[in-house]
Amino acid sequence: MAETPADADALVKKEPEAVPAKDPIVSTSTSGILLVSALLLMAVLAWALYDEAYGQRPWKDMQRTFVARETSYLKRLKRNGNQTEKEVKESPEYQQLASDAQTAKEAAEPERKEIEEKVRVIDQQLAAITDDFQNKRGKITVANYKIETASASAKDKLRREVEQERQEQIKIKMPADDGSGRTEEQKFTYPELETKYLQLKDDKAQLLAHQADVLKNYNDLAKKRDEYLKDHITGLTDDQITKLIERNNHFDYTLRQINVTDANIVDRCETCHLGIREPLTITPATLKLRGKKPDEDARAFVSHPSKELLQIHDPEKFGCSSCHGGNGRATTDVVKAHGLNPFWLHPLHERDNMEAGCQQCHSNDRVLDFAPNLTLGKDLFQQRGCVGCHRFEGYDRETDGLSNARQTIKQLEEQMTTNDRESRQAVAASATVTDDAEAQKLLARAEKLKVDNSQIAARIEQLNTQSRYLMQDQKKVGPNLKDVRLKLRKEWIPVWLQNPQAFRPGTKMPTFWYLNEGHELSKKYGDKADQERKAIAAYLWQSAFEGQVSKQDAGNASHGEELFKTKGCMACHSIGDADNQVGGTFAANLQRVGEKANFEYIVRWIYNPRERWSPYCPKEKRDLTREDYEKNNKPYVFDTGMHSKCPNDGAELQVQNMTVMPNFRLSQEDARDLATYLFSLSSGHTSYPDASYMDDPNLKNQGFTLIKQYGCAGCHEIKGFEEEQRIGKELTAEGSTPIERLDFALMTQPAEQGLDPLTLKKTDSSGKKVSEWYNHKGFFEHKLTDPSIYDRGKEKDWKDHLRMPQPYLTPEWKTALTTFLLGSVGPEGANVPASMFYNPKDRGRDIQDGWWIIKKYNCMGCHTVQVGQKSVLSTLPQFQTQDGKEQLPPALTTEGARVDPNWLLRFLTDPSLSGGGSSSGDLTAPGHTGMSGANGSSSPQPSAAERMLAGESGASGNQPRSRANANNADFQPQPGANHNGVRLYLKPRMPTFNFSPNELRTLVRFFLAVSSQQEPYIKEQLEPLTDQERNLAREIFGSRSAPCLKCHLTGNPEHDKSASAPNFLMASERLKPGWTFRWLLDPQRVIPGTAMPSDLFKKDGERWVFNSTEQFKSAENYHGDEAQLLTRYILQLTPAEQARLASSSPSAPSGRTQTGDNQNTTAASSTHHARRNHEKQSRFKHQASARAPSPASESQRARDPAIIAMVRHLSLNLAP
Amino acid sequence: MNSVKSTRSLIALLIMLAMLLFVSGCSKSDDDEVADDNSGGGDSAPATVKYTPSGNEGQINGTVTLNGTAPEAKKISMDADPACAANNPNPIVEDVVAKDGKLQNVFVYVKDGKTADGKSIAGLSFDTPAEAKVLDQKGCHYVPHVLGIQIKQKLTVTNSDPTTHNVHPGPAKNPEWNQSQGPGAPPIEKTFDRSEVLIPVKCNQHPWMKSYIGVLSHPFYAVTGADGKFEIKGLPPGTYTIVAWQGKYPEKSQSVTVGVKEVKTQDFAFDASGATASIEGGSLKMMPAIEFPMPMKH
Repeated sequence: MAETPADADALVKKEPEAVPAKDPIVSTSTSGILLVSALLLMAVLAWALYDEAYGQRPWKDMQRTFVARETSYLKRLKRNGNQTEKEVKESPEYQQLASDAQTAKEAAEPERKEIEEKVRVIDQQLAAITDDFQNKRGKITVANYKIETASASAKDKLRREVEQERQEQIKIKMPADDGSGRTEEQKFTYPELETKYLQLKDDKAQLLAHQADVLKNYNDLAKKRDEYLKDHITGLTDDQITKLIERNNHFDYTLRQINVTDANIVDRCETCHLGIREPLTITPATLKLRGKKPDEDARAFVSHPSKELLQIHDPEKFGCSSCHGGNGRATTDVVKAHGLNPFWLHPLHERDNMEAGCQQCHSNDRVLDFAPNLTLGKDLFQQRGCVGCHRFEGYDRETDGLSNARQTIKQLEEQMTTNDRESRQAVAASATVTDDAEAQKLLARAEKLKVDNSQIAARIEQLNTQSRYLMQDQKKVGPNLKDVRLKLRKEWIPVWLQNPQAFRPGTKMPTFWYLNEGHELSKKYGDKADQERKAIAAYLWQSAFEGQVSKQDAGNASHGEELFKTKGCMACHSIGDADNQVGGTFAANLQRVGEKANFEYIVRWIYNPRERWSPYCPKEKRDLTREDYEKNNKPYVFDTGMHSKCPNDGAELQVQNMTVMPNFRLSQEDARDLATYLFSLSSGHTSYPDASYMDDPNLKNQGFTLIKQYGCAGCHEIKGFEEEQRIGKELTAEGSTPIERLDFALMTQPAEQGLDPLTLKKTDSSGKKVSEWYNHKGFFEHKLTDPSIYDRGKEKDWKDHLRMPQPYLTPEWKTALTTFLLGSVGPEGANVPASMFYNPKDRGRDIQDGWWIIKKYNCMGCHTVQVGQKSVLSTLPQFQTQDGKEQLPPALTTEGARVDPNWLLRFLTDPSLSGGGSSSGDLTAPGHTGMSGANGSSSPQPSAAERMLAGESGASGNQPRSRANANNADFQPQPGANHNGVRLYLKPRMPTFNFSPNELRTLVRFFLAVSSQQEPYIKEQLEPLTDQERNLAREIFGSRSAPCLKCHLTGNPEHDKSASAPNFLMASERLKPGWTFRWLLDPQRVIPGTAMPSDLFKKDGERWVFNSTEQFKSAENYHGDEAQLLTRYILQLTPAEQARLASSSPSAPSGRTQTGDNQNTTAASSTHHARRNHEKQSRFKHQASARAPSPASESQRARDPAIIAMVRHLSLNLAP
Repeated sequence: MNSVKSTRSLIALLIMLAMLLFVSGCSKSDDDEVADDNSGGGDSAPATVKYTPSGNEGQINGTVTLNGTAPEAKKISMDADPACAANNPNPIVEDVVAKDGKLQNVFVYVKDGKTADGKSIAGLSFDTPAEAKVLDQKGCHYVPHVLGIQIKQKLTVTNSDPTTHNVHPGPAKNPEWNQSQGPGAPPIEKTFDRSEVLIPVKCNQHPWMKSYIGVLSHPFYAVTGADGKFEIKGLPPGTYTIVAWQGKYPEKSQSVTVGVKEVKTQDFAFDASGATASIEGGSLKMMPAIEFPMPMKH
């Protein structure tokens, strides 16, 4: 501190030396510093207190806000009288129930009172004696103990004392039995007292039991009344509301924490998100401030949107962050709690990608309930061909299965060799040991090893069969490019390669920028793109099969159109140009197929898409030719049945086109008509630039290198690339890649700053605001939108650029795929231990395995497989009318419960049920016809009956088969042509998928598992009908009230024209009795919207009786369940019985077929049918033997085809 | 020393101020809460307002005609069920019923619009008529062919035939049902809770049997009689879109303003040669091959 000059002068007289140095103690003051420090300390204290109370606990405010808002909401609910409860209580139904309950209560009242009085008296009496009794008992027990411990001499004396004690009279003031309150003194010895005591207790128990009986009626009614109330109010009851308000009034403002020790989860989310598990449903609108939009708080307080989901994933066991991500421990601010701060590994999933959280535990589920978006992502990954380049664990089911099987076989073979050796050694050793027992032991061991080997051999055999079919099950996303010369117009190929989206918007074929010189990136490389395209086209053209598909005449386009729109083609394919596409997106849009393809090839393809031009031998790694067969003296025939092996070396061949497109069993004419229709959709022969360079052999080698580099073989079969590996990165755990290892390249900065990569502004080209995207979601989304985005601005060599082409993806698809990728973190990247992952077992596993097949073949394009799921067909305009809806393929939601699994297996093998396919094991696909139509095949020729059946062509009403035409070479015969197996009246046709036995098994198991059915299925033995029962059933069936035969097929062509339900004759083989019974009672509960009406039966006491005003003679004295009776009748129906019904029923029309005529196709087909079935039944021996022999009833006769034929013939001949 | 003092006091002042801020900051949230207190909860959805007749209601009358020659009435073959023919010796298809150019079975209704005092007709609620509407099955025909009904109004379906029918409406917004009704069976009683124009009704056993039920939230509809005439009564003054639906021909729509107690005439004319109504074609959006699966128990 400086002195002022005036002070200095005053002291100047003193000697300067004498002046003591300034004493800091008196001359300076630290009070300023102290003050400042004190104040600072105060401030820090204040801050610390504040921070402790509020700064670190912002959630306290949240809780207060919640309590205030919820309380006010609850109070309002209460004030408004909680409408629903009041309304329900005022409803006549409730009043009725309430008064019933009251009446019952009053009726029981006198007796209840009487009992109550008696119990009261007993209680008094008990009270009077209990103390004395227990005292006495105590004394005697003590005395007995004394005897036990006393010396032998003293015992007798003590015993006498005890006896005395027992006989001593006890005076008790016993209340009178009449309950008047009077007491009378009685005397009891101990044994008497004990008897009395026990008796009173007994009486009381009896009375109470009786009271419960008396009140039972009232209690039941009261329960009914309360349940009615519960069933009819949607919200909370007044009681519940009051309780909640009460809770809020004494709200415990504290941290709410879930602690899952095993999984190391500590989640405090509910500290702020207080509404999550509230009993009332809170939406943002519920707790918003009056007159304002829902604010952040209102959104934070919502209850969990799916109570069902929370039930499965109890938060007490799973926490919150395990599904949602975020930092469950953080409570100091929103950013931290949601894990949105840098370097937190598991940020909260955004709303759009919420279901990513499901994937980390449910990566093994192909279809996940409650996660439609994720499931869509999984679908797309497969269907759009991502899997062609990127491996993802679980997706290569066939390939992985194949290599696993091969590896296992190798191991097993080694095991067999070892066993053999050990067995030999044991035998040898047994000869040398001296001890007999030891020798026997060794021999037993040798024996065991031998038997083991036989078991291993059986296993190897299974695996071999399996792997044979696994090869057949492998499919490609894109078409077979070995066929391009047969299929395509040459000049079109380079046009397509340049920009597939331009030719066919929405196609699965992605756009390769390096084949499109118009693309921004390729511009700076001059005409390089053009050259590469030419080279690729040249390779494809020159490597493809040479040949010519047999000539086909044009057909009838309008008939083709009808077929296209009704047969089910549109479940997968769409037509219409870019903005007007109608149909499914599973397969290609066919609007412009006429501009690119050969008519003949398309006809052949439609006729049977699986028919391969030439088989491929994986062992020789080449396509076989006719010469290979001739060389080995074998006919040039290949199919999935008996002709699947290589003539040169016996290796399993690729004998089918690797397509999922099934065979619709169309006649050749129909195939021609369909192709003609498709060709009529486009303008026809557009001219394309000259492409003669495609024959330039110099380009071929270059093309080969490029195809290898761009990974075309991921989706296509290309000659020379059959064994090609994927070129893309494996994505199984892509979501857990650390952010710094996702190469944003020059986009890092824009991503961090939230700039659009194209405009480099805060808004994108359409003016939408862009937010920061330096995260996984941002990376995936931008990559999917434009895969070359992270190459922007980079100086690279042409071939070093990112290779991923640009797929066609709608915004929803992008979100779904992003969700899928975000959630795919693998066990390392998950925020829960792997022990929490869901591994479906047993039925769950069967279901998931089944989903792979269902999705692979797009079963959901035609069928409703899950309740509420809409098939593609059901959304098409031609299926919107009421009649149209009834043409939709059947819903399969209860299929496993409905049909006999053995029948299902047969049906899936051959949906025409006409014997085209056969039992598992020899699946036949029509082989190759060659070009001339000369049929060198030894494939089974269709029988006369089959031809007739094909010619009959029930519902489709097409032209007669086989026109004589020299130009139209006939294809292989089509077994089961133009024929639906069950629902002959449906226009859509269940096609033949040529499922392999692997797939058939998986599918059947799927349906069984979904319907909780056990396997193997053991057919229930039905009680044969008594005469009375048969008569009654006949009467009901024939009555005016039961028009069953009006709609159900009978096999009479005249009648079947207007029929709309399956033939009862199929029921015995096809249906399960339990399902049939439930179906009869209320079909609308099984398949809502079905044409089968409900209310056919009504309840009469405990049994169901037919709902009719008519009197049935045979119903007198019949006390059985009539619905059960009809079930048994239907399931045991024979052709003779049906014919009898048809002739007597007023509801079945006349117009019966001519008798005894050879052209009676019905008789022929059904006889044939029966014969086929018989053959099949004997094939399915294991199944037949599982059934108990049936009694000699009509159902027995039904099995004998000869009798059926005879009976049928007779009945037809005798018909008037 | 002065400067020192001033510095000191400045610091002190600052600290005081800061503390004051803290304190005020601390108490702020309490204020908010008070403000919150009475205002919690959301506004309930705009409830429908009960309409009470004012006596000023108007009326729309009109005739529906068909220009050109009506297609020849097709005969239905009822051979399949002899019981049908007995009750209906000359059954014809009812998709166009015209006599002297007057169209029968046209459903004319108020589609939307506002009353004179600005209320949307959809936002008003009306008394549910106590009497039930009857749909009879007679001679294997639905009588009437076109039926209007108000939401929650009782529909009674009767069967006057000596054969069994099943009554199968195919609604899009109401629950679907399909009930068997034998000869002499008691009437089926149903209601529809959502407005839907029109719900087709069929009998699966007699495929020619068709009926259409128009369900509306208000009573302003009519079905033309044999003379092609209709009357919509009791209409509050206002401006409405009136739609005439015939089934076979594309529907016609008109905007009509009805004044106080006014009786307005609005005729409709369909064109026999014109395009037939069809739900096929049109621009339909691409259908996803992949459907969102619904929860399935396993």
